[in-house]
Amino acid sequence: MSAPAMILPRQAVATSAAGPAPAQPFRLAAGGLVDRTATLDFTFDGRRYTGHPGDTLASALLANGVRLVGRSFKYHRPRGILSSGPEEPNALVELRSGARREPNTRATMAELFAGLEARSQNRWPSLRFDLMGVNQLVAPILAAGFYYKTFMWPAAFWETVYEPLIRRAAGLGRAAGEPDPDHYEKATLHCDVLVTGAGPAGLMAALAAARAGARVVLCEEDVRLGGRLLAERRTLDGLPAPDWLRGVEAELRAMPDCRILTRTTVFGAFDGACGAVERVSDHLATPPEFQPRQRLWRIVAGRQVLAAGSIERPLVFGGNDRPGIMLAGAVRSYLNRFGVAAGRRAVVFTNNDDAACTVADLAAAGVAVAALVDMRREVSPEIRRIAEAAGASLLTDAAVTRVRGRTALRGVEVTDGAGRRHALDCDLLAMSGGWSPSLHLASHHGGKAAWNEARATFLPPEQLPPGMAVAGAANGDLLLAECLAAGARAGAAAAQATGFRPAPPATPSVDGESTASAPFWWVRGGRGKAFVDFQNDVGVEDVALANREGFRSVEHLKRYTTLGMATDQGKTSNANGVALLAELSGRTIAGTGTTTFRPPYTPVAIGALAGHHRGKAFRPVRRTPTHDWAAEQGAVFVEAGPWLRAQYFPRPGESDWLETVTREARTVREAVGLCDVTTLGKIDIQGPDAATFLERVYINTWKALPVGRARYGVMLREDGMVMDDGTTARLAEDRFVMTTTTVNAVRVSQHLEFCHQWLWPELDVQMISVTEQWAQIAVAGPRSRAVLERVVDAPFDIGNDAFPHMACAALTVCGGIKARLFRLSFSGEMAYEIAVPARFGDALARRLMEAGAPFGITPYGTEALGVLRIEKGHVAGNELTGQTTAADLGLGRMMSRKKDFIGRAMAQRPGLTDPARPVLVGLRPVDRAARLRGGAHLLPRGAESTAAHDQGYLTSVAFSPALGHWIGLGLLVRGRERMGEIVRAHDPVRGGDLEVEVVPPVFVDPEGARLHV
Amino acid sequence: MSDTALAARSPLAGLLRPGRQGARGDLPGVVVQERTGLQIVSLAARKGQEVPLMAAVRAAWGIDLPTTPRRVGDARLAFVWSGPSQWLAVATDWPGDLEAALRAHLGGLGSLTDQGDGRVVLRVRGPHARDALAKGMAIDLHPRAFQPGDVAATLAAHIGVQIWQLDEAPTYEMAAFRSTAGSLCDWIVAASAEYGVEIVEPG
Amino acid sequence: MRIACPFCGPRGSEEYTYLGDATVRRPEGDAPSEAWFAYVYLRDNPAGRHRELWYHGAGCRSWLVVERDMRSHDILSVAPARDMALARGRAA
Repeated sequence: MSAPAMILPRQAVATSAAGPAPAQPFRLAAGGLVDRTATLDFTFDGRRYTGHPGDTLASALLANGVRLVGRSFKYHRPRGILSSGPEEPNALVELRSGARREPNTRATMAELFAGLEARSQNRWPSLRFDLMGVNQLVAPILAAGFYYKTFMWPAAFWETVYEPLIRRAAGLGRAAGEPDPDHYEKATLHCDVLVTGAGPAGLMAALAAARAGARVVLCEEDVRLGGRLLAERRTLDGLPAPDWLRGVEAELRAMPDCRILTRTTVFGAFDGACGAVERVSDHLATPPEFQPRQRLWRIVAGRQVLAAGSIERPLVFGGNDRPGIMLAGAVRSYLNRFGVAAGRRAVVFTNNDDAACTVADLAAAGVAVAALVDMRREVSPEIRRIAEAAGASLLTDAAVTRVRGRTALRGVEVTDGAGRRHALDCDLLAMSGGWSPSLHLASHHGGKAAWNEARATFLPPEQLPPGMAVAGAANGDLLLAECLAAGARAGAAAAQATGFRPAPPATPSVDGESTASAPFWWVRGGRGKAFVDFQNDVGVEDVALANREGFRSVEHLKRYTTLGMATDQGKTSNANGVALLAELSGRTIAGTGTTTFRPPYTPVAIGALAGHHRGKAFRPVRRTPTHDWAAEQGAVFVEAGPWLRAQYFPRPGESDWLETVTREARTVREAVGLCDVTTLGKIDIQGPDAATFLERVYINTWKALPVGRARYGVMLREDGMVMDDGTTARLAEDRFVMTTTTVNAVRVSQHLEFCHQWLWPELDVQMISVTEQWAQIAVAGPRSRAVLERVVDAPFDIGNDAFPHMACAALTVCGGIKARLFRLSFSGEMAYEIAVPARFGDALARRLMEAGAPFGITPYGTEALGVLRIEKGHVAGNELTGQTTAADLGLGRMMSRKKDFIGRAMAQRPGLTDPARPVLVGLRPVDRAARLRGGAHLLPRGAESTAAHDQGYLTSVAFSPALGHWIGLGLLVRGRERMGEIVRAHDPVRGGDLEVEVVPPVFVDPEGARLHV
Repeated sequence: MSDTALAARSPLAGLLRPGRQGARGDLPGVVVQERTGLQIVSLAARKGQEVPLMAAVRAAWGIDLPTTPRRVGDARLAFVWSGPSQWLAVATDWPGDLEAALRAHLGGLGSLTDQGDGRVVLRVRGPHARDALAKGMAIDLHPRAFQPGDVAATLAAHIGVQIWQLDEAPTYEMAAFRSTAGSLCDWIVAASAEYGVEIVEPG
Repeated sequence: MRIACPFCGPRGSEEYTYLGDATVRRPEGDAPSEAWFAYVYLRDNPAGRHRELWYHGAGCRSWLVVERDMRSHDILSVAPARDMALARGRAA
């Protein structure tokens, strides 16, 4: 299979991959803003080329005569470069290699750098010969809605056949598949005036606002300021555009409160801020040291001026996607900015007066212009004169009806108003269907763009995002003089609105121009597929089919055909698609309407959205005061909410976590252990009404609690479900310290503030978190008192009589360190919790280990803590699911009947007092050697394993060292009436099914005798 | 029975080593220092006692308690607004127990809670301090919006902080929960790396 | 979305936690169950102005009553919930 010949100049042919990179045959001898003194090597599909600093990948490819750059999404048609900006739908390439490989990059936006590796996408085995190109032959079945029609039956194929098939065929480039080696940042910028786009309107807006003294941020997605001025041969105040731009840029840069961000795309106008991404290092092979690859800006602006310019519309005709067919403005951009001729012999096809510039610029660059094909019947004498001067034949009331060439354009056939056909040889067709404002950001708050019949374009919606004004081409002004004036006005108005007194800058004088246009975009009767949306491969037939099948709302059209979807968001296709649908359905364009543009304007890397917060910095980590000590002990850590807690402390010779945890739990029951419980929320509650406040937030009573005593409390949500539990100690008549569960600490604090500030502002109570102030360590086990006696300063007596279960006191330890001691137990053993100022937590743990060594003390982690509490039937997070009541958990008798409290009324409702509710029970395997699994569902014996027979589930399980077998807590329907019954623990996820006996939830020391020794 | 007092451990012990990090150059763009020798006590007015409380503070230390997000006082003792009718009293090298001193003067006018161990306080200064802080804080620190004496309670890299500005260098101090010290420092050092960051001995 | 805290100034929504309707009133303890049901569950969803409770948890820990236009997201007023609750108590 030999590739068809391309029209290329002789010197570009027959360069081998191994040979030296060829000269740049399409580079003009002079002109443009590239640095011809330096040469950059790069490769495309493994072949070596050269370009210059200032090039984009697209301009460098064109300079080297590379036309074919990709294959289309659905039909795998050969595609070339259509545009010179962010609207590029065709030239999507992979850049770089290895972990930095990045797919779907627009070649028109990728700045060239030395060593750039680029590859085409969506082709196999090669770009020139793509097997999937046969999709073109079966195009009729790939028409609009084919996904919905083709992959319907049989249903058994959905997951096994269709989805893998679609996934393999879908998408363009390949993700790197390795962790991104670069780093990204997020930052916030505040300003009075944000200006988006540094074309003529944006520059004038920024000047006007900055000169008034406003803090201005000017964002430009290009590397240079200037917008279209970089692409056109214009004069301002008698200066060539590049010289005028230099002056403006110098003035803006000199102003301290004007910040210019180039390579920065404002991609979304959100509620209260704009999002922008700065491509800090995308133009380099690798980011410089300490520099991010990209930086995401959140820009908070008092006012903003959208001056994003406009996007040229393609013309819709058969074969309009051939490589070599390009937007006319892009042709001028490559000529004037990059010094590149996109072809040797051009035809210009247009419906508007911009054509004059295209013809003139091509001729000035020495490119032959075969013809100017104008869809209009009449054109101005000026255009006639320019065409004549360029030696181009002028064909009016004419259109391109056929294109020749497959992977590159070789010629066109033009049919004029009289029906005459003209065959024209050309390798470049510059087309223009007029310009559509780049108004995407203006509709990000839901406002719909409105059709303007006089200007034959969609204009920004009336309902703009708050504080936004639109100026210049983005607002439909196409004349340079209008853009400059409108920008200055908008900038001044924005400064005024943010409290400054602007004097609008004088608008520069400009050379004359005409932007007359006629609304013709669609050529009927041409040969070949006529594309409306290049990126999504949507053609005229697809729109027609959607219309025939009744998808006449633009929103339906969009979903059915995919027109305007994906990363493109309809940049080049929206106006043409809507106009076509309007015509086909016999409606006006205004009556047809348009879809809503959604953020992001152009794709944003996930890495930029994450910024610093990936890997270990994914979210803040909270470390306990004893973290380093625990790490020295070999602790394995576990995340508990935002905290890192010691999960267990393996010792040499222990084979697995279960052996370690069993040893830790057994040591607590038999001797003594210590565990950092700092993470439990602690709230200092003070004030004369503190006790009254607790009465109202807890279900039980508090006023009678003596100073120096603690009490277990349960709080409900107002709907009657349990919110949280914990012990609260009375430190003084008007002072309590409340503890909450680790995970609910923030939520409880917020709830208490709500109760105080909104429900009962009359109460004199103050509260503040002291979770972090105190390092709190539980010392539990029959020898705990012996250990504590060695750290508590004399003469404080911690004996059972002086300091009984649930006592608390302020005292000193270790020779004068102020501390709080609580006699609390979560394990069911005699136990204390000792709190010292957090800076001493680490040393206290070490001191307790020393003091406890003679008694066999062990540190224990959250796993052993869990085992001990399950053995005692204490509820924890697994049981406090938000769907359990106090009664469900066996705590119903705590609910006071003598007072109002949060949740009291709703806890009485029938649904929550139904005796058939699942309630807390203990469960043990009938076969004592069997292992229980948390989450297993409880079913009656003999019943089918269906949801209809589900009677509850195992909430917590543990191997009980005290009993020598697995035990569990669970919620079981009518559980308290079913003691001794055998039920099944059915675990469909892990394939378990075993018999368990229903028992009381307290497995160890049900009388609580061990607490009071 | 007990013997010697316990050794105190800084929230950043082992996490923030003095020295230069990030971009090299003559002067660091950002200087980070952990503050030591601080006592911090939170103060909340009892219901309806704001006016006598303010009078008592003025009488005792000559400081007008701020009613907006400001820090009033000096390096020895300052009151930092931390919510409506709430403040943090922040003292450096205060002789004796700050909480006891406050209690002696303010009696039942306010609720006092010792917070000195609950916070890590970082001093961040330098010509690029604002740029670095902007990488994790959404508030406006531009001199037109935030000046010496101003205070904000906000988020830094998703961590709750109170920040106040000391001078126009600019120098800021940032207080966060002790347990978050590691994550807070990892962030500020990463955010400052491009400007060059000097971590100086705690003080 | 930005909410101007009356104490701290304008802050992004990431500093706040949303609770919901600020127009419902907690019934007295002995109120009939219908009143409790309405308080806990029944909510209007007006197309227009609405008052909601927001908590400035990452700032000054104040509960706020935010008046918002549910159609445009425009914030019309923000007031400390405590002040409003005290005023309500005085009016009752």
